[in-house]
Amino acid sequence: MNRNYNLNSLWLSLLIMVLIVPLSAGAMEMDDCLGCHSDAEEVGEELFIDEDKFTHTVHAEMGCVTCHESVTDEHPDDGEAVTNTACLDCHEELGSEYMATTHAENATCSDCHNPHQVHGLKAVSRQDMNQQCSQCHEGSDVLESHTGWLPQADLHLAKLPCITCHTSAENYEIVLNITHKEKTTVAGSYPLSKYADLKEYSGEKEIQSLIDINGDDHISLAELRTFNRNPAYANLHLSGTMVPGEVSHDLSTLDNRYDCTFCHASGPGSMQTSFLAFPTEDGAYRRMTVDEGAMLDTLYGTPNFYMTGSTRSASMNIIGLIIICGGFIMPIGHGTLRFLTRKNRKH
Amino acid sequence: MAEELQDQEHQHQIYLQPIPVRIWHWLNAFGIVTLTVSGAQIRFPEYITLLGSYKSAIYLHNTAGFVVAISFSLWFFYYTFVARTMANLYVPKVEDLKSGILRQVKFYFLTYFLGWENPHHPTPESKFNPMQKSVYLAIMFVMMPLVSLSGIFLTNVDPLRGLIVMVGGLKLLAGLHFLLACSLIAFLPTHVYLATLGRTPTEHIKTMWTGWEDEEEHGEETETGDLVASR
Ligand code: HEC
Ligand code: HEC
Ligand code: HEC
Ligand code: HEC
Ligand code: HEC
Ligand code: HEC
Ligand code: HEC
Ligand code: HEM
Repeated sequence: MNRNYNLNSLWLSLLIMVLIVPLSAGAMEMDDCLGCHSDAEEVGEELFIDEDKFTHTVHAEMGCVTCHESVTDEHPDDGEAVTNTACLDCHEELGSEYMATTHAENATCSDCHNPHQVHGLKAVSRQDMNQQCSQCHEGSDVLESHTGWLPQADLHLAKLPCITCHTSAENYEIVLNITHKEKTTVAGSYPLSKYADLKEYSGEKEIQSLIDINGDDHISLAELRTFNRNPAYANLHLSGTMVPGEVSHDLSTLDNRYDCTFCHASGPGSMQTSFLAFPTEDGAYRRMTVDEGAMLDTLYGTPNFYMTGSTRSASMNIIGLIIICGGFIMPIGHGTLRFLTRKNRKH
Repeated sequence: MAEELQDQEHQHQIYLQPIPVRIWHWLNAFGIVTLTVSGAQIRFPEYITLLGSYKSAIYLHNTAGFVVAISFSLWFFYYTFVARTMANLYVPKVEDLKSGILRQVKFYFLTYFLGWENPHHPTPESKFNPMQKSVYLAIMFVMMPLVSLSGIFLTNVDPLRGLIVMVGGLKLLAGLHFLLACSLIAFLPTHVYLATLGRTPTEHIKTMWTGWEDEEEHGEETETGDLVASR
């Protein structure tokens, strides 16, 4: 039964190849399209496609014509409008989830996604994501409306992707980004580092080697500590954020975001899975796994990622407990002796 | 006014704790207890939910922190500029360090049990015994300012990011805040216990409420005692 199916599909694909190959040989290829469309002077800003960015996306594997089916060999001279295949044809699940929301009346897929520059959740930074929203939701308005109920709204909005709170994702992953000091103010600010920024530090070597010293494509707690204590990297810092475990497009805002429990009261257990995102040359990101529990290290694991409630360190708790117990030595010890010797003080 | 009162109902009493000090003390006490409870919920939200939602614990903590910081300023201002007794009261003298602390420790841990008198006799000019002085100094000049400062940093993480990175990171700051808080919490039982070591268990506590402390019954010691001599 299974074998039958496989055989059938094999024949089918052969048939398709026989039919399509000669056809497409005549039609324009992706390179032909880009010959004009990656040249802003030829087609104008409006129709410009950034070749560097496009060729690194999964959409590039499909070629242009898959999405612009009606394009003819005479294009653009034929003056015909070119069709765009709807995102929903291929992204049924996420697409229909989004189309069911009221937000679908406010923004279409291409308002948030440039189809020629798509990246998956794991390959974008929180800034890239929020950039999509800020086209319509002005930063100052958002800050104002969130300040009403969210302490340190500025901190949260700078640190978190909007979709961590504005979709019904059930879990999150900790993602560390590398930031570097910029002397804009006295104390300095810390924007996300791009590939070129880090290349200045790594020189000949891959930028991953700044942290992943042994090159095993995984970051251990020891490697994190070494990085954070290395005086040569005094101006580099890891900034942590929380990204949904998987993308949902329902744009609903759950109560556990509003009452803070999703992030701050989820306990150290939720802080286990984490990644470090390295910028890539083409402006995207590549994640590397980090040792489980590294976020909970007392000091040097992630000195600049701390969330009250969930990143508390166990050893710190023990020291605290010992200190507090110390406070009872006097009442208990002295109090006992005082009770035993009470007769001495009757004058 | 105080003298007048002393003439009538406070004949054998001294006015030890002026009003600003008492206001500060009780604001501080309630503030610290509130900070402890809300702070505990902020750090251990899965286990402690006394104050309802996490958000309300945070708001309460921040408000109480503000109240404590303000009352600390009140205390500092009063002693430094109004009463001008800060240095005298809180900074231990050479004498205190050389022999005073030892004498006081000896009293608390030995002669007290034998029923001897406290070698120190509080007056408005010298309220604290040498041991108290040293502990209060550490608490009021080191721990309170540091816990407030780290708290202020923690309430303004984004604007103060650069500074926080410079001092060693958010984790260090929160850790410092937590351990200082634990130290202040540890001070509480000791403090309350020592307060019951007056002639009656409630004597000192009443004084902190009314301001008046009973004069020593064996008067001659107060006048000629080592306290006066040691100054
Ligand atoms: C010879 C240069 C050239 C080539 C090759 C070319 N285009 Fe175009 N394309 C243009 C120009 C010029 C326009 C603007 C035409 C107009 O405004 O009528 C255009 C317009 C378009 C549009 C927008 C049409 C609209 O209605 O908004 C799309 C989509 C498009 N091209 C896709 C493609 C694809 C896909 C290919 C390859 C199969 C391709 N083009 C190849 C020059 C070119
Ligand atoms: C995954 C599908 C997909 C692929 C692959 C794709 N496009 Fe598009 N393209 C679209 C969609 C959808 C739009 C309409 C965007 C909008 O509505 O703003 C579009 C719009 C355009 C436009 C109009 C200008 C603009 O940016 O809106 C041009 C030109 C264009 N595409 C060219 C190309 C070329 C050239 C390629 C191949 C190099 C290509 N497209 C590959 C989906 C695709
Ligand atoms: C012809 C089919 C097709 C169309 C039309 C299409 N996509 Fe895709 N898209 C794919 C495939 C295949 C992938 C890779 C597998 C996946 O992630 O589902 C993909 C991946 C993506 C990704 C994730 C990229 C990554 O690197 O993981 C995004 C975002 C995306 N598409 C958005 C869109 C948007 C927005 C539209 C409409 C403008 C659209 N797609 C239209 C086929 C399509
Ligand atoms: C309000 C903005 C917004 C709209 C509208 C939107 N998306 Fe997205 N989408 C996002 C964000 C944010 C992400 C996560 C970051 C990324 O991959 O770009 C995302 C991710 C995706 C992904 C990648 C999922 C993955 O697993 O990595 C796909 C596919 C996708 N969207 C398809 C669509 C389709 C199809 C539509 C239209 C029906 C749509 N999106 C409409 C904001 C939007
Ligand atoms: C193309 C413009 C556009 C983009 C892009 C966009 N939005 Fe919106 N959004 C709107 C409009 C218009 C409204 C309705 C008016 C309002 O509430 O501001 C809205 C409303 C909302 C609301 C309130 C919904 C409600 O039910 O009350 C949320 C939450 C929201 N957007 C989140 C986002 C997020 C998160 C992103 C980015 C991933 C985003 N939006 C991107 C236009 C946009
Ligand atoms: C910490 C979680 C969190 C983050 C991060 C967050 N939001 Fe919200 N947002 C909420 C909650 C919860 C509400 C509902 C508030 C209420 O009911 O009063 C809300 C309300 C909104 C609204 C509707 C109210 C209004 O302002 O009109 C919009 C729009 C919105 N958010 C956009 C955004 C955008 C854009 C971002 C990213 C820059 C963002 N939010 C980041 C939690 C968050
Ligand atoms: C989506 C996850 C998320 C939600 C929901 C959230 N926070 Fe946060 N919170 C964060 C992150 C991330 C930081 C910054 C950590 C850092 O800078 O390293 C933070 C920082 C803070 C800080 C500063 C002290 C610290 O821990 O670094 C406070 C206070 C705070 N949040 C309170 C709240 C309150 C109150 C709520 C609910 C009204 C809330 N948060 C909701 C993720 C969240
Ligand atoms: C002026 C004083 C203080 C200020 C401004 C302050 C502020 C803060 C801030 C901003 C936080 C982070 C969470 C939040 O925003 O509420 C915090 C946490 C905390 N505070 Fe305070 N605080 C002060 C004093 C105290 C005191 C006196 C105690 C206890 C005796 C205390 C105990 C705690 C504890 C236990 C935490 C949790 C820390 C953690 O999770 O690491 N705080 N405080």
